[in-house]
Amino acid sequence: MGPTATQKPGSGGLAATEHRLGNGLRLVLSEDHLNPVVAVCLWYEVGSRYEVKGRTGLAHLFEHLMFQGSAQVKGNGHFELVQGAGGSLNGTTSFERTNYFETMPAHQLELALWLEADRMGSLLAALDEESLQNQRDVVKNERRQRYDNVPYGTAFERLTALAYPEGHPYHHTPIGSMADLDAVTLDDARAFFRANYAPNNAVLAVVGDIDPEQTRRWAEKYFGSIPPHDAKVPPRDGTLPDVIGAELREEIREKVPARALMAAYRMPRDGTRECDAAELAVTVLGDGMASRLYNRLVRRDRTAISAGFGLLRLAGAPSLGWLDVKASGGTQIPQIEAAVDEELARLGAEAPGAEEMERAQALVERGWLDRLATVAGRADELCRYAVLFGDPQLAFTAVNRVLAVTAEEVRAVAAARLRPDNRAVLAYEPLTSADSASPAGEQAGAAGGDGERDGAGR
Amino acid sequence: MTGAEVTMDLYPQPGPGPARPWAFPVPERGVLGNGLAVLRCHRPGQQVVAVRICLDLPLDAEPGGLDGVAAIMMSALAEGTSEHTAEEFAAELERCGATFDAGADYQGARVSLDVPGSRLPRALGLLAEALRTPTFPGSGVDRLVHNRLDEIPLEMANPGRRAARQLAQELFPASARLSRPRAGTEDTVARIDEKGVRAFYQAHVRPAAATAVVVGDLAGVDLDAALAGTLGGWAGDDAGPAPMPPVAAGGTGRVVIVDRPGAVQTQLLIGRTGPDRHDRVWPALLLGTYCLGGTLTSRLDRVLREEKGYTYGVRAFQRVLRSPAPPAGGAAGVSLLAISGSVDTASTGPALADTWQVLRTLAAEGLTEGERDTAVQNLVGIAPLEYERAASVAGTLADQVDQHLPDDYQAQLYPRLAGTGTAEATAAVTAAFPVNGLVTILVGDTSQIRAPVEALGIGDVTAVTG
Repeated sequence: MGPTATQKPGSGGLAATEHRLGNGLRLVLSEDHLNPVVAVCLWYEVGSRYEVKGRTGLAHLFEHLMFQGSAQVKGNGHFELVQGAGGSLNGTTSFERTNYFETMPAHQLELALWLEADRMGSLLAALDEESLQNQRDVVKNERRQRYDNVPYGTAFERLTALAYPEGHPYHHTPIGSMADLDAVTLDDARAFFRANYAPNNAVLAVVGDIDPEQTRRWAEKYFGSIPPHDAKVPPRDGTLPDVIGAELREEIREKVPARALMAAYRMPRDGTRECDAAELAVTVLGDGMASRLYNRLVRRDRTAISAGFGLLRLAGAPSLGWLDVKASGGTQIPQIEAAVDEELARLGAEAPGAEEMERAQALVERGWLDRLATVAGRADELCRYAVLFGDPQLAFTAVNRVLAVTAEEVRAVAAARLRPDNRAVLAYEPLTSADSASPAGEQAGAAGGDGERDGAGR
Repeated sequence: MTGAEVTMDLYPQPGPGPARPWAFPVPERGVLGNGLAVLRCHRPGQQVVAVRICLDLPLDAEPGGLDGVAAIMMSALAEGTSEHTAEEFAAELERCGATFDAGADYQGARVSLDVPGSRLPRALGLLAEALRTPTFPGSGVDRLVHNRLDEIPLEMANPGRRAARQLAQELFPASARLSRPRAGTEDTVARIDEKGVRAFYQAHVRPAAATAVVVGDLAGVDLDAALAGTLGGWAGDDAGPAPMPPVAAGGTGRVVIVDRPGAVQTQLLIGRTGPDRHDRVWPALLLGTYCLGGTLTSRLDRVLREEKGYTYGVRAFQRVLRSPAPPAGGAAGVSLLAISGSVDTASTGPALADTWQVLRTLAAEGLTEGERDTAVQNLVGIAPLEYERAASVAGTLADQVDQHLPDDYQAQLYPRLAGTGTAEATAAVTAAFPVNGLVTILVGDTSQIRAPVEALGIGDVTAVTG
């Protein structure tokens, strides 16, 4: 068996072309005629890091408003037309971008382009107070359902708030706070659209069973007349020191079913070789059923029910290494924490062996094969590399860069970053039944997030 | 309308181009010398090959008082083999870039392996080891038992899982396996040990009662050779038919509140039982249920989400729970028909009132032709999207195997959907969701929601602790 699973790792013979419309809209096309399907994916370079104090959650609430009609699309018409054409659609909002996507039977591509263009160019013709009030209520229920009414649900926003200091653009998560959601006005929403929704602040990827020339003509026809502008306010600088400098910690007593140790480590930015090394480091430690933490905590010590370590890649601020351990039975947090620290220090002291590197690289490569296995996955990755790094082609070679990382580089990033003085920690202690007689409103909260918040519908 | 004037050129909505035909793949069926059935399906471009081993092993086969032994046994297949320890086994698989999962459901048990095609032969070797020569070491089984005991409270803390557990208990008599959790309860799991696991394995796991489904880009893979050298060596005697005793279900409309003091939302699960997919009504039921609550533009979300803002989304669905082989099929099959979602606590009463109003209006006026047409266009048109991945195709083929459906069931479903009329879809969905025959589970704050729910008159209201 060779070191990689495919002859041309990651690329699978995939290719893309890039074009730019006169108004600055970037267009990325990739042909694949194996199935009669096409993915349309549109990334706007705006996310929660562009929000200002008192208006957290606006980018995501706005994403919902993008499904409430535009000049030629009435009410829920966007959903109705796509689904009636045999397509599926959604949008998501993260720290750094907002994306909208339709996957369609190939013969319905033109409809998807028409719909996306209509709302990019004419949303404000339809946006009204009634839509805002309604979607505000929907988003508040989204927040309750995904964060406030599930055990550990608020861990993600708590850790993010610890790991990025007050005032930092990543200090708050895309879902926002209830108070800020309540405060959003129609004028806020209009101003947000006018500032951020412009063709020159977006990348459109079309992947699948397409005729590239025809697709270019349609893109020009429907998007070409939308005027560009430069009203966008650049995000605040997300630069931080490589290392936090001292452990930040919150002990949480909540109505949760088990003790838990969660931590966020400050990691290298996406787009760097160190970030690829960091992905391998967390994979060695905490991905899969043969990771060091799983073997140690779940199999051998039997102190944990589950133990995982992942990487939330970020381009405009340090990435986050994400540890999540649920304690078994009567195990106390310090016992787990000592074992975690030991395993992290061990990786920092000694490079992983060939078999462990092979395992980690095979898992990362597998992740890429999965992401590139569908036209929608490919379109999203092409947009990601175009928006965040200026070059969509990087999507097809990303896995090669991870496979080129050496064991020594993995050790080095672990030594530099996976240290107790470079983390924010949440230690969860369940409320006992005696405690829980105390006032209502003490809410259990949900599983650690990944920074991506689904928008309208499912 | 206020807002900006439109500064772009507007064009009329474009129509579709010519559609390229697509059909759900019908697999090639074969059988190995040891009796193992093999379904294979070549999907060009799908580099990650999906392998599903379906065991004809319903949970009814579990010994009395040992609920959960099937789930533990399946997990324990990866806890050590004659060739590898548990840690070695997991590491070998992951060095192939493979994911491996094993579980047990009411209808059957299943092992799922997904692996890049170039490493398929090696991963099949590991899969065969797990099926042929599991060692079930005491330490491994004990660990899985304790892990499971730890997981139960985590699952029950999730409002959706808690609601599902309560509904099963309400819909089926305590004697029916369907009334009890798939992976067992604290009491039954605590009784499971390596001896019980080994005995259960020896009694039920054999190639003649199993089917391998293999889907992906198989060009360049000598699948016959790979199978012969791996799963082909799995030996075992012939299998008798799996037990599938009939089950009674039903009851009258009622409400059960699972108390969660201080909860900011109420989890709703409103359901009853229906037929399995052998029943001729199934395509009409799919269409009608989609119109009721399949998506954000269906009847329920049009009101509850897009008009009232009570919820992030409510869905109606059907899920097959047991599906015996014909000729018993149909009559003995059971599915869950349900409406599920969560609403903010203060909106619990109004949201239920609206839900019942939607159901009454549906029963009184029926579906419109336009609704039916849109549902057909979506459910049929979306198929090539849904089945891009090898794993999606493999999952559907494996479900067909588990449920004793013909290999071309899914392929035939699309023309049947297209041939189903508005009246049939209306009849199916109104029969599925009768306003007086639904069991409503609410996981929420009893002190806040009980009175408004009692006032609705949708059935007697009882409350249980969370």
